[in-house]
Amino acid sequence: MSGDSYQGYHRFLIATVGVGLVAGLVATAGPVPAQAAAKSVSIGITLPLTGADADGATRIKCGAQMAIDEANKMGGVGGYKLKTVILNNATATAGAYDPAQAATNAKKLVADPSVVANVGPEMSGDGKAMSPILSQGDLATITPASTNPDITDPRYAGQYRPAGKPVYFRTVTTDKYQGPNMANYMRDTLKVKTVYILDDSGAYGVGMANLFEAQAKKIGMTVLGHDELNPKEADYTTILTKIKGMHPDAIYYGGVAQAGVKLAKQAYETVPKMVKAGGDGMFTGDLLKGAGFPASEGWYVTNASPHLTENPKLADWVKKFSKMCGGRTPSDYSVTAYDGAKVIIAAIKKVADSGAKVTRAAVHDAIASSKVDTFQGPVAFDGNGDILQKTIAVFQVAHNKQYPDDDVIHQFKYLGDAPEAPSS
Amino acid sequence: MTFSDVLLQQVINGVSLGAMYALLALGFTMVYGIIELINFTHFSVFMVGSFIAMAVLLAVGLSGQSVILTGLPLVAVLLLALVVTMLATGTLGVVIERTALRPLRNVPGTAAMITTIGLAYILTNLVLLLVGAQQENYPNPLPNLTWHLGGATVHLREVLVWVVAAVLMLGLQLFVHHTKLGKAMQATAQDAEAARMMGVDVDRVVLTAFFLGSALAGAAGLIFGLYYNVVDFQIGYTAGLRAFTAAVLGGIGNIPGAMLGGLLIGLIESVGGQLIAVRWTDVIIFSILVLVLVFRPTGLLGRSLAQRS
Repeated sequence: MSGDSYQGYHRFLIATVGVGLVAGLVATAGPVPAQAAAKSVSIGITLPLTGADADGATRIKCGAQMAIDEANKMGGVGGYKLKTVILNNATATAGAYDPAQAATNAKKLVADPSVVANVGPEMSGDGKAMSPILSQGDLATITPASTNPDITDPRYAGQYRPAGKPVYFRTVTTDKYQGPNMANYMRDTLKVKTVYILDDSGAYGVGMANLFEAQAKKIGMTVLGHDELNPKEADYTTILTKIKGMHPDAIYYGGVAQAGVKLAKQAYETVPKMVKAGGDGMFTGDLLKGAGFPASEGWYVTNASPHLTENPKLADWVKKFSKMCGGRTPSDYSVTAYDGAKVIIAAIKKVADSGAKVTRAAVHDAIASSKVDTFQGPVAFDGNGDILQKTIAVFQVAHNKQYPDDDVIHQFKYLGDAPEAPSS
Repeated sequence: MTFSDVLLQQVINGVSLGAMYALLALGFTMVYGIIELINFTHFSVFMVGSFIAMAVLLAVGLSGQSVILTGLPLVAVLLLALVVTMLATGTLGVVIERTALRPLRNVPGTAAMITTIGLAYILTNLVLLLVGAQQENYPNPLPNLTWHLGGATVHLREVLVWVVAAVLMLGLQLFVHHTKLGKAMQATAQDAEAARMMGVDVDRVVLTAFFLGSALAGAAGLIFGLYYNVVDFQIGYTAGLRAFTAAVLGGIGNIPGAMLGGLLIGLIESVGGQLIAVRWTDVIIFSILVLVLVFRPTGLLGRSLAQRS
């Protein structure tokens, strides 16, 4: 059968069935509502919405959802209405994010033909599990929070993007900057000379702790040790007692809140006066709620994006956000999620406006070449999917009793940006 | 802090950990000693106990670490929480035995053990549904009292753990050796059939073992919360596994064995973490367990409570 006559036959069939259906509907249900004719595409959102990281994840979800809702309110994008497919990356067995569940969710997204792009994941462990599947499904994702550099590193392209094209885009920078820049900040500003390093044995935590360690040694800090915490373990007094006996100036922790909350709680008991610092995994309401005050007081944390939530330009946005997010204040990763969704929306618009069909492949290419004005400035990606801006913002927990204890804007005090480490 | 101070501090940490493991291990060992059932529901009963105690502490007006009590009010609040929690988890243990396990008592094979695993999941997920998965900041009214032992520091929370564990374990020993029901427990453990013929109500003995074991797990749940100040629905897993290991190490079925095993595991965990690395904790614990079982298959103290051969 030649292609032409096959297609001709096909069109005839569709036309006949279509006319038949419409006729049937008109006959039985009266006029067809205009809505039903509107085209739609879906954007996935994959985050650990329950468990130890739920608070941070919810703030991220609201950011993405807000951008999508706004686009729909403006009448959709290029004739398409946007829908969301929200999938939970956390499981009860893990009690937090679960890379196995993330992989399942990635397969679900790839299997759903309406999904043209995804926002997420929050966790690098999930990212490592999802990226190869998304690559093979040609489904681009924009992570507003996961910072492990391996996923986009061309050295591991065979593992994380087997289909070749970059598929994992970020609206945050990576731990190649987050860990090392914080090492610089701790030496230069906090005058830390000796440090003990801990991680939570997760993909993100180990990676960041190692990058921090390498830079700390390079700039002349003494690393007294590096040990791993089991996030399901309750007792960290053993390691903290050991650290206390070594008298370092500081503890640096690479990891997320699950172990971090317990670490903060017990570190306050064992080594109350020591400088304690972590990465964006600790920049969350989960720390403030779980460890509470005074245990979380004084912790230094970083964020792999510019600090925007207190920017006067965003004052209205912050108000709108709190209203749609159950009273929660936005984190900076709410902003990067909003920006990420904006980038996807712009890509869909670009494809639709060019007259082409809005397919995954087309949206993927449009994202890769995007240059979109967002709150954090123009977002553009390098050839691996990493964002061009490399800002690492530093914060410290400082209890402000005027605001609720879990208010991430007001309980984390912005101290400035960390000095950039030369990239390796 | 000199190295010997650090080591002393680790021993203090280890004894506190060990006391909690021992309280938990007793529940495993009592039930095993009497009906030879490994009761995995125990993990979850401990966790439920921690949340029940938290509810009691919240109900008397404590939250986070903002309300500090001293003297009589402190003792009263802690006793109230302890008693309510132990009664509640004890009752939970009885309900579990009566409804889910007794019908399987004489079913051969592993049906009863598998049932306890299933029940453990049901309890864990019930708590997940009711309170959510986030880590909870535990209400803690303990004042920040410390004593110095050389260069090491002893906190009030550690003393509390030791006192509660010691009193409960002493009470259990007295109960088992000096009451009629306790002697019936020993008799049933040695030979259930003969005990029944001698007029011992075996069903009542089994219920008692479940009640006592679960009540001790509840007490462990309360002191766990006060010691670590953070709980979530998964705390039963690691602590339960360590406690179970402690019971096996000491000789499952043997009450003093469970106490010894608990203390040893706690000490191995803290001193091993100090001398080697905490990332090797599980490897160290389980290597020692394997070694002990190779040379003493019945555990350190054998099975003196259940001397069936």
